[in-house]
Amino acid sequence: MSRPVFFLLETMGLNMHPRFSRSLAFVCFSISLIAHAQSSPQSGGDFSNNPQPNALPSDVLLVKGAWSSASDLVTPVPEGGRVANNVFSNQYFGFTYTLSPDWTQKYVGPPPSDSGYYVLAQIRPAETSKGTSRGSILIAAQDLFFTLAPAGNALELINYNKESLDADYKVEQPPTLVRIANHSFVRFDYGSPVAELHWHVLATQIRCHMVQFVFTSRDTKLVESLIQEMSKMTLPAEAGPISGRGGGEVPVCIKEYARDENVLERVDPVFGERRFNPAPVRIIIDKQGKVKHIHFLSAFPDQVKAITDALFQWRFRPYLRDGKPVEVETGIMFGRAPRPATTPSTNAATE
Amino acid sequence: MKTTKLASVVAVLAALFFTGTAFAQTDPGVRSNTGVNAGQPFASVTASPNDLAFFQTGFEQFNEHQTVTGDNPGLGPRFNLDSCGACHSQPALGGTSPASGIFPNVGPNPQSQVIANGVVNGSTNTIPYFVQANGPVREARFPFFFNQFGNPNPNAPNGGVEDLFTVSGRADAGACSLQQPGFNTARVTNNIIFRIPTPTFGAGLMANIDDATLLANHAAQAVFNRVGISGTFNHNGNDGTISRFGWKAQNKSLLTFAGEAYNVEMGISNELFTQDRPLPGEDQMGSGLPANCLNLAGVGYPEDITHSDGTSASTVTSDTALFSVFMQFLDQPTPSTTSPGGATSIANGRKLFSAIGCAICHTPSLTTQASQLTSGLSNATANLFSDIEIHHMGVGLADNVSQGGAGGDQFRTSPLWGLGQRIFFLHDGRTSNLLSAIEAHQSSGSEATLVEEVFDLLSPSQQQDLLNFLRSL
Repeated sequence: MSRPVFFLLETMGLNMHPRFSRSLAFVCFSISLIAHAQSSPQSGGDFSNNPQPNALPSDVLLVKGAWSSASDLVTPVPEGGRVANNVFSNQYFGFTYTLSPDWTQKYVGPPPSDSGYYVLAQIRPAETSKGTSRGSILIAAQDLFFTLAPAGNALELINYNKESLDADYKVEQPPTLVRIANHSFVRFDYGSPVAELHWHVLATQIRCHMVQFVFTSRDTKLVESLIQEMSKMTLPAEAGPISGRGGGEVPVCIKEYARDENVLERVDPVFGERRFNPAPVRIIIDKQGKVKHIHFLSAFPDQVKAITDALFQWRFRPYLRDGKPVEVETGIMFGRAPRPATTPSTNAATE
Repeated sequence: MKTTKLASVVAVLAALFFTGTAFAQTDPGVRSNTGVNAGQPFASVTASPNDLAFFQTGFEQFNEHQTVTGDNPGLGPRFNLDSCGACHSQPALGGTSPASGIFPNVGPNPQSQVIANGVVNGSTNTIPYFVQANGPVREARFPFFFNQFGNPNPNAPNGGVEDLFTVSGRADAGACSLQQPGFNTARVTNNIIFRIPTPTFGAGLMANIDDATLLANHAAQAVFNRVGISGTFNHNGNDGTISRFGWKAQNKSLLTFAGEAYNVEMGISNELFTQDRPLPGEDQMGSGLPANCLNLAGVGYPEDITHSDGTSASTVTSDTALFSVFMQFLDQPTPSTTSPGGATSIANGRKLFSAIGCAICHTPSLTTQASQLTSGLSNATANLFSDIEIHHMGVGLADNVSQGGAGGDQFRTSPLWGLGQRIFFLHDGRTSNLLSAIEAHQSSGSEATLVEEVFDLLSPSQQQDLLNFLRSL
């Protein structure tokens, strides 16, 4: 595919998620080449009679390793958020965040990690910004089903972060519960005297994920103004440092629901290739106990197929809330689980 | 009055200019005023006559130039260069890519001199466009195979090494006639990536860090991921343990690393890689190497073997194993505490390095396990500045080559020890400017974007301290 075609797709992709637009570009590129007869691969050669060589696009990832994917493209996934019209919105978590004027996302984040960490957005002043304030905003999430920290909720995780803080940092405000946009967050501020930088962390919990906003700047007034602007956020009712466990319009999230007493039928995946990576999976179980949706945080394509084939044969005991079956979301780790951290966190936040 | 005003304006502008100059952060460049800081064996090796003899024999073999036939046979039929030491030479044997005129002036890129030096025949080989006298030593890979029309086929991932040169036309190569890979086609179709040699100083320490130590470090860092970083490990397919050598941590051990390089970079079969190696496409086409290019050394296969008629460890051991011995006995580089920029600046830079998050991936030190090889490797502090994990580095650095569990944008955290005397940076040696290398850490999909942004938040003098610290290593 020629570069102009690729750029056209990129332009079209302005209204698409960047990863989707890249995938579309890749598919189109592949199709354009399949139009040529496939033959035995070669290592190069002269090919001087090729009048119109098709150059691969630059700055596009074509060969992925373990990556995120899902069993359908309709059900929202955590990494599916995007910035459009100066608003970051994430359908999975059900929140929106309005960017400050002249702030933007230049680079999208990496794929979800195999320990359930997501970079949802990276916001910074636009290069055209005339302002002098400088800083960055990281919107991230940690799946509490797969965290390596000894923490069961967002509050415990922030407390653990505080306890893990290197001595070179200075705690400016210990984890404290605050209200933002009519929801409870835990706020934790710290700084680096040597770097003259400040990190202000605000976290809440949604669907058994810690969702956090990390503001970094030399300018604490700037950070405070950015935090004030968080009041424009819209958040789901469940959001709170310990309360965000799904329910309502989204499935209830329960850690380790896939334990033996709840699994009525289990089929182990048959892997064709021996691999050593962790393959964390979130599934949504419908009211009848069938697997409705599978989200792979990180897995190779052959693992995705084997696990998908198996999981759609699993049958669960329906989860009952107030005597009525409801959808439930849980996590299963296939492959080799990463080693968790060992130091427990005991401190509690104060209101 | 006008003259006074003009003088004032000039004075203000001059003050601004010189202030800007004073605080404009720059890469201090290759550190040259503290001598060569790497390339020595462990003190425990020096103290043991047997170990030292073993190391010195490895040193000599590492630096030896191979030929197709003769006393050092086996070169080719395809190769990137004829000696380990030619590529791994900056700032001392075992290091990385040299460049002409830069301390300690090891010499020009040796790949640019292969015709002049008679290593290849200039009528059958040309110097590829990406090899330049003052550029880095490079190996080339085509991420995808080409179809019959000369277009890369993204449904056919390749990623294998395309050796730069052939023995064709050499007096000792007989009738073997091979073409070089189509580098110009690959260039036009944007289907070529490069790798430069990884330095091997302290490699024995890296080999001797237990998996449990790496996993504990991973867990400790992963729970405090305030800056977008996660990371994972590449694994050895044979035993499932963490692999650690190569740009994508694709090799488990120094012996594997040496055996693969002997075979892939120099074309010498050995006890680990027992056949002469065709290009990836030649194997894929089902042809392999032509018969008249096989067994050119006339000694049979493998060309490098353990010598049962030897009388000492040094004379019994194969070249491949000697390379491994040499690398594992190389001590880690010695950083400077004062240069460049002075002790205060370096100490401040080190603190900043940790404060802004660089040290999450570039773990300053890890402790080795007990070693039977030499006491210098035992329970030692390896100041490697790496977690040996592979990280997504984004589309700006992605090479679309998969190796083991590493995808096209994942790279091992490059160990930074010895960085002060490296000339070229990043996997493909695209820059000699440390500041540019840092900036390259941010792009879409990179775990390091936020850390790079925080680096940008530092004041120019703080950034300079950090650069000084890195160049002190």
